[in-house]
This record gives sequence, structure tokens and C-alpha cells, in this order.
Amino acid sequence: MTNENTTKKIAGRGRLPRRDVLALAGAGVAASMPLFARTARAAQPIKLGWVGPLSPPGGYAEGILMKDAAAMAADAINAKGGVLGRKIEIIYQDTRGLPASGTAAAERLIVQDKVAALFGEFHSAVALAEMEVVHKYNVPFLACDVWSQEITAKGYPQVFRNSTTFPLLDTMIGEWMVAAGFKNVALLAEQDDIGLAGRKIAAEVLTKNKIPFKLYTADPTATDFTAQIIRLKAQKPPFDFFFILYAEAGAYPMVRESHSLGFAPTPHTGIFLSGGDGVDPTFWKNVGKAGVGLLCENVGLPKSGWNNKTKAFVAVFKGKYKTDPPGAAMESYDAVWSLAEAIKNTGSTAPGAIIHGLETLHWVGTRGLYTFSMSHTPAWAYHQFMAAPATILQYDQENQSSFDAPIVWPRKFATVPYLYKTPTA
Amino acid sequence: MLDYILIQAANGLVIGVMFALIATGLTIIFSILKIVNFAHGEIYMMGGYFGYYVITLLGVPPFPAVLVAMAITFLFSIGLERGLLTPLYSPRIERKADYGILITFGLSVFLRNIAIILFGPFPLRPPSFIEGSLAVFGGLMISYDRLVAAGGGLLLLVALIWFLNRTVWGQALNAVSQSRESASIVGINSERMYMLAFGVGGALAGGAGALIAPIYSLSPSMGLVPDTQAFVIVILGGLGSVSGTIIAALLLGISQNLFIALLPDPSRGPSYANAFGLFIMMLVLLFRPTGIFGRHAVAMD
Repeated sequence: MTNENTTKKIAGRGRLPRRDVLALAGAGVAASMPLFARTARAAQPIKLGWVGPLSPPGGYAEGILMKDAAAMAADAINAKGGVLGRKIEIIYQDTRGLPASGTAAAERLIVQDKVAALFGEFHSAVALAEMEVVHKYNVPFLACDVWSQEITAKGYPQVFRNSTTFPLLDTMIGEWMVAAGFKNVALLAEQDDIGLAGRKIAAEVLTKNKIPFKLYTADPTATDFTAQIIRLKAQKPPFDFFFILYAEAGAYPMVRESHSLGFAPTPHTGIFLSGGDGVDPTFWKNVGKAGVGLLCENVGLPKSGWNNKTKAFVAVFKGKYKTDPPGAAMESYDAVWSLAEAIKNTGSTAPGAIIHGLETLHWVGTRGLYTFSMSHTPAWAYHQFMAAPATILQYDQENQSSFDAPIVWPRKFATVPYLYKTPTA
Repeated sequence: MLDYILIQAANGLVIGVMFALIATGLTIIFSILKIVNFAHGEIYMMGGYFGYYVITLLGVPPFPAVLVAMAITFLFSIGLERGLLTPLYSPRIERKADYGILITFGLSVFLRNIAIILFGPFPLRPPSFIEGSLAVFGGLMISYDRLVAAGGGLLLLVALIWFLNRTVWGQALNAVSQSRESASIVGINSERMYMLAFGVGGALAGGAGALIAPIYSLSPSMGLVPDTQAFVIVILGGLGSVSGTIIAALLLGISQNLFIALLPDPSRGPSYANAFGLFIMMLVLLFRPTGIFGRHAVAMD
């Protein structure tokens, strides 16, 4: 009996009942779960949502360049190992330049795709709609090429902007017009909230400096301006400067027609195209000789101020897309890096952490040293990149790169001794 | 002042001819197929791009390039008609007008977006027909490109009227537009006429796109506004009436231009020009619900 019992005990040594085995296995799995979860989370990418126009009726041309630049930034960050050991994944949403589409896109990115932050956009009216969504869900939004002061003036803690804004840009252009000595200005803006906002600020500067001017508006869908230009040309006393605030499809025909009708650029009348089309890749293909003497703004760093990141970005972008990157593309590129930097510095993708990371950001990108203002005076300064670069250039040769065109303003960046070169006949 | 009004009227006439070229294509398609082609603006856009690439890739001079672009657009339109619109002729489709609207609307969105991929998002411009401008009245000028576009447009319109009235094919088209059944009785193959009408309508739009390209530049979204204006013109002229469409287009071009030129508040002219066209249309429809030369019965069979 004893022997039997002993034999059973010996036989059973090291063998556990099935129930105990299952319990142990369960405990083991449970104990290892956090480890698996941590590993899985580490492998999960950090999702960022890009919003902007990729199809009509929005500014899809600029939107596509911004998207390409954002993809370049994500690739560069991921090639260096990502952020917090995780890759960056950008989810793109086409907003078509429509506020309703912008709202839907932001909602989808936040609720469905669970992005850590949003960035991008090209149309202020759409950004204003998207802002309401990010504000509701408390998700950070770094707006790029949108210039309406209302965007930051609302004071939403989630909203930042790395581009210039009308008060900065049009004040600069207005001051240049005063310095250049123009005496009678025709100011034509597209008939929407953005064109009218820019026009208002430029008009304020001209009024303050007692420069006579007349205001004109044009439908954003218009492409034929001949009748209007003939009317402008017939104006008495004649205009000596034609300032166009127009970023739609009609911008190039307007410049071309203005030239072929002998209005501007001529020795009597200068011309300024504001809105971004002056530095777009097919500018010269579209305007030809009419572009010589034309002025426009550039919202990237002037070539003389390029840092290593700017040089590297321009070289890679040109190699990949066979065109010079406009300022909007640099803004989009830097936005991804800025968000990555904010996440890295705070060690978290939580909304509050990213917002804090952006508020304390001190990072050099392709457009200089990024910091976001915390001041509410004036209201639009809040979360605005106050040092957003902007220069005025004047083409003096056909097919000239915007990077090589003479810079006439601000004087600290000027590459030529003159403020304005009178176009030849 | 007279010089000023004359130059504005002349420019309006130029624009009117371009409007007419786009709108006559639309009205021919409507009168034969009895559908509103919402993709007409996009076919106009494709014609412009065909012209551009014929010039830049094949080295064809700008004038013959317009004809080549028209030929390509003609074949392209026939392909679209064969591929997408043949169900319209089947008795199995009950709501033909709805089918026509949905399929052409979808086609317009598709063509616009495929153009972004194929041709790129940025505006392109072919070389001018003739560089420079002509001084016409008291130092006022009109560009040669506009004069060429207007002259070319007029030639195409004259050719179209000759084709419709003096050729067997044109008379067959006219017969189908009046009564499909009667045309069938005398041996006219209606389906072949639908194909021809869609091809001719598309070729006219394509020709307009190629003529206008040096003036307005090319972009994937360039068809949106002319499409709307063409609808206004077709309704003004009377749905299905080619002569009414041409007259309405010229009237609209001149009156829109004079509106911009003479509006007492000069700052708002270009903002309200398109709205002015719609206002004229409303006025005409109040007094003549079928348009200037419209027929009374135009619904889909």
C-alpha cells in the first residue's frame, strides 16, 4: 500500500493537475499582456491628419504641392527612426476648398482615424470651419497656408498657424507702396471673405499714408477681365499702380490681358500679383513677357537667409517634383516637423501635451526659427508664428526663378539698391 | 467715350463668339439626344489640352492644332457616347432624362479629376496664335489672340450652319431632332445620328477650348464656368435651336461686357457680370418661356 502510494506520488512528481496548468497559463498570459501591449503600441504609428484642397473647386494645385511636401517630411522623420520610437503616418483628406467638406474631413480624421493632430489647409474659409471641429474635440491644429487673421484671432488654444497673416503681409505691401512713391492705386480683390479682408488692410495703410486709391472686386470664378482693364486704363487721372489680390484661375489671364492691353506693367503703371500665383511653377508658362516687371510676395525665406534645412529641402523637392517649392510647400513640410518636435519634447501624443509642445516650440525649420506667440495683443497674434518670412520680389527677366528674382522689400532682405524698377515699354 | 463703348462692344462680340461655339455644341446634343450634357465643359477642357499637347509634343503649329484638337475631341466624344450613353436608346431604361443627367454629371466629375492626374494641377498655356495687340480705337487695343479666336470661332460657326443645312448628314440630324419616328421611317439610322451629334457637339467644344487656351490658360477646372454660361445661353436661345443659341451668345457677350464697362459703380462690374447673364435669362423667360427661338416640346421621348 505504502509502496503503491509512494509510486503514485513519485509518478505524480512534477506533474500538475490540468486545472492548475490552465490557471498558470492564464496567469502567464495575463502577466505578459502589458508587455505585448507596450510592444504593439510602440509599433503603432503616430497618426497626423492633413487637410487641404486636392480637387476643384479648391486650390488643388497648391494643395497637391503641400501634400507632397508633407509626405516628404514624414519620410524624412521615419527614416531617422520616427518619434518616440513610432513612425509618423499622415492621413490625407481632400477638402475641395469647401467649408462643409473641411468640417466633414476634420470630423472623420478625429473620430474615425483618431489622429493626434491636424495640419495643413490652403483656404481660410475652410480652416475657419475646421477650427470649430478641432475646438470641439480638443485636438491640436497647425494651420499652414491660410492668411485670414480671424483664424488665430478667435483665441482657440488648439489652433496654431505657421504661415503669414493678412495684417503682417498686407501691412508690409502697403508700406512698400508708400515707400516706392505710388500716387494713384487701383486695388482689385477677389469677392470673398479672404480677398476683402486683405483689401481692407491694404486700404487702411494707403488711407493712413494719404495715397489715393480705388477699390475693385471680381468674382473668384471670373476669367475674363478685359472690360475691367479697359475701364481701368481709361481712368483719369491714370493709375500708376495695379495691386491684384487674386489667387484664382483668372489671375494669369488678368496679368496677361493687363499687359497686352498696354495697362501694366508699363513705364506708367506697375503691377503686383498677391495670393501666391506669382511664385507657382507654371507662372512663366502662363504669363510670358507680361511677368517681366511684375511684383509679388514670397512667403518663404529669401535665398540669402536659407539655412541647411532649406537648402536640403529645396534640393530634394526639386529633384523629386522638378519644380521650385513655393512657400506653402515649405509651411506644410515644417508643420509635420513642428508637430513631431512637440511630441518628442513632451514625450506624449495627448492633445494637451502637443499644445504645450507647440507653445514652447523653439525649432529651426526651412522657414527659420519657429516659435508661436502667446500674446493676445493684437488678438490675431495668439499662437501665430510672428516671424513668418515674407518678402516682395520684382522679376526683371523672363523665366526667372522666384529664388533668384531681385528682392525689393523689406530692405533688410533687399538684394538690389532700388525699391521699384520701372518696367520698360 | 464712343471709342470706349465701341472697344467694349467689340470685345463683347469676341467673347460672344466663343460663348456661341461652346453653347451650340450643347444645344445640338440636346436637340438630338434630348439630354443635358453636364460634361460639356469638361469636353471643352479636354479639347484645350489636346490642342496644347499637339503643339508642344508633336510640334504642330497653333492654327492646324485647333483642327487636330477638334478631330481628337470628335473621336473622344464618340467613344464616350458609345461607352456610356447607348443605354439611353434601350427601351429598358424608363427614366432616360434622369439617366442622362446622372451619367453626364458623373462623367464631368471623373474627367475633371482625371485631368488633374494626367495634365497636372497647374495652369498651362499654349503659345499665342499671333503675339501682340491691335490698336483699334483711340489708342485702345485688342489682342491678336482674341481676334484669331473670334475669327476662328466665326468660321467654325459658318461651317456648322453649312453642315447642318447643306449636307445629307446635317439634314438627317435635323430630321432626327424633329421626330425620331419619322426619321426612322425614311431610313435614317437614329443611333448613328446620336453618335454624330455627340461627336460634332464635342468637337465644337474642343475647338472652343483650343481657341481659348492662349487667352484664358488651361486648367482642369476651366470647364465649370463656361458650362454654366452655355446653359444660360442655350435656355436663352431656346433649347435645341442653333440659330437662337448663336444670337443669344452674341447678345450675352456684348451685354455682359457693356454692363461691366458702364455700370455706374466701376468697382463691382466683374463681380456681377455672371449674375447679369442670369438676370437677362430670367427676364427673357418671364416673357418667352421657351427662349428666343425655342420649341414647345423638347422632353425626352
